[in-house]
Amino acid sequence: MNRRAFLAGVAAATAAWPRRGAAQPKTSISYWNGLTGADGKVMDELIEQFTRETGIRIEQQRLPWAELYPKLQVSVPAGEGPDLALIHTVEVPHFANDGVLETIDDATSAGKGFRGDDYLPATWQGGTFHGKRYSLPLDVPQHLLYLNVKVMKEAGLTGADGKPKVPASRDDLVSMAKKMTKGDSFGFAIGTLNPGRYTWGFHNLLWQNGANIYTPDLKRAGVSDAAALEVAEFWAGLAGGLGIAPPANANCRDAFIANRLGMWIAGSWNFTGLREAKVDFTAAPVPKLFKQPVVWSMPHQYAFPKPKSADRAKRDAAWTHIRWMTDHVADWTLRAGQVSASRKAHSDPRITGDPVLKTLLGQAPNWQVGQPTPKWVAAENLTRPVIESVYTGQKPAKAAMEDLARQINALPD
Amino acid sequence: MRRRRRRQTGTAWLFLLPGLLLFVVFRLYPLLEGLRVSFTNARLGRATYQYVGLANYTRLADDTRFGMSLWNTAFYTVASTLPILAVPLGLALALNRGALRNVLRGVFFFPFTLSVVTVGLAWLWLLDPVVGPFNYYLRALGVPARSWLADPATAMWAIIGTTVWWVTGYYLVVYLAGLQDIPRELYEAAALDGACGWRTFWAITLPLLRPVLLFVVVTHVIGSFQIFGQVFVLTMGGPGDATRTVVQHLYETAFQNFFQFGAASAMAWVLFAIIMVFSVLQFRLLRGHTEY
Repeated sequence: MNRRAFLAGVAAATAAWPRRGAAQPKTSISYWNGLTGADGKVMDELIEQFTRETGIRIEQQRLPWAELYPKLQVSVPAGEGPDLALIHTVEVPHFANDGVLETIDDATSAGKGFRGDDYLPATWQGGTFHGKRYSLPLDVPQHLLYLNVKVMKEAGLTGADGKPKVPASRDDLVSMAKKMTKGDSFGFAIGTLNPGRYTWGFHNLLWQNGANIYTPDLKRAGVSDAAALEVAEFWAGLAGGLGIAPPANANCRDAFIANRLGMWIAGSWNFTGLREAKVDFTAAPVPKLFKQPVVWSMPHQYAFPKPKSADRAKRDAAWTHIRWMTDHVADWTLRAGQVSASRKAHSDPRITGDPVLKTLLGQAPNWQVGQPTPKWVAAENLTRPVIESVYTGQKPAKAAMEDLARQINALPD
Repeated sequence: MRRRRRRQTGTAWLFLLPGLLLFVVFRLYPLLEGLRVSFTNARLGRATYQYVGLANYTRLADDTRFGMSLWNTAFYTVASTLPILAVPLGLALALNRGALRNVLRGVFFFPFTLSVVTVGLAWLWLLDPVVGPFNYYLRALGVPARSWLADPATAMWAIIGTTVWWVTGYYLVVYLAGLQDIPRELYEAAALDGACGWRTFWAITLPLLRPVLLFVVVTHVIGSFQIFGQVFVLTMGGPGDATRTVVQHLYETAFQNFFQFGAASAMAWVLFAIIMVFSVLQFRLLRGHTEY
């Protein structure tokens, strides 16, 4: 290449370089979330579409939820937090209590078109703490009963129409599961990884039996009360006395895909992956195994971490994004598999026409979320090893739950 | 003369200053700040806190889970030391010579290039009780399968096995360097005297590897007291608290159970003291002059 050709090349490259101000996005906001699964890819695509339509650029930081929350707790007081964060409902009370989140007044949210009537009550209420609003719900990750058609057919548990039977009670579930359990194949599991320490499944059963982590006044642990002990005894039997569930550290998702698991209560976020894996399955509402057919749910919520200094343009851009996502939530539901917290998308024929999404929406009256206490997450972390020790038979259920109650009651204020 | 020496000393300090500054800012200051925080009820993200004296330390005496974590960490350290010493040494002796030694060294070193999460996830799958290949082949051989990571009797041993597989390559290289430092004349002289095999190993190789052994033991013990990654990925401290270690307990206290930084800092200082005592003891026990 001679000197003239080189200079011409440089000039052409310089001309082609995007100039400042030419097609520049209007504003850029930072957005932290923990959508590390397949839903993260869907969020990326929707955000690209959002940027194309609005000119607002979003810089996402995505890390596992368990790492995201400590990072928010440290970064926000230091003035290094994001403009927008997606968090779980149960995180709202402790972040609100520690001054990490900004309050959202009703006039502002109503002015942006967000009204409680448009949402399902459990999700809308989950964004408040001590009467103040801190977040706005996006969607509702929840439990679902997955039925493996191949495994159930082999065990003779399908009806005349070839569809798997759905257990109507705890006894029903146990007897059906026993028919499918042999060798390294199991009839029932609750939880995706490490079923022994799957607190969300344990919470679901507690709630079905009218029990909870804290008593209703939130003053003391309720995990050693009679109703909770009944659940713990059942938990102990799953891989123990009843012997219907896989060992404590099994990967239940892989077991279900490998046709080694018949009935599986797990998160709604699994169903798009099961379809991709081409597993022959159907979905049913979480069965009533105790007193009430409660379904565990944990809505994702949009929240504004407190900024170092107010930036109206960024805040407006964040509001625009929440509004845009809420308006496009049907796309999010269809592609990420999470039903929306807002009712608007619930009548979308694309959603009602999908059997799994229809089942998820049908569970809405039974949704329950964690208790609104800043100690909920810490109590959940303490619960994990205790219920595993019950599941594996290391500790008797009563002693373990009493120990857990003592630990929860000892949490600092 | 004195002025020249003073100038030299000043120059030396100038060269040392950048490193020293970094050490003070990024090592010493956080260490001492951690000590100060350990006497408070500080919580991450909260601006206010009070000094609570030794309360965080005295509470550790009643914390049964901390006691359990200490016991598990000590068990891991003791139980893993012999295989960590012996397996790489055996391999180093075998690979010290031979046509394929360079290839085999690379093969054995490869696992060490993987991150702890990769190693943990790979073994998590290998040992999965339902779909894992390990149990599959055991069943094929007629050996009863078991849940290696969900059984309190085997979980810690599975973690030890994984760790040995992971770090063997690293210690293998260290041992090989030590073996190649031993003069060949000593072996030739021993051979002339009729010694060979085990005799030369006990009389020449092992004594002359003493500095390397000291390095391996000290670094392994310090690393063992700080074990976290393998446990967190493989068992999360379970089943129950059967494999819960001190660093995991500390991490969860600081970042998961209500962000109790004061209490977690106290744990960190207790761990620091324990590691310090063991390191000093090891240096005293294993020190000795090695002459070639």
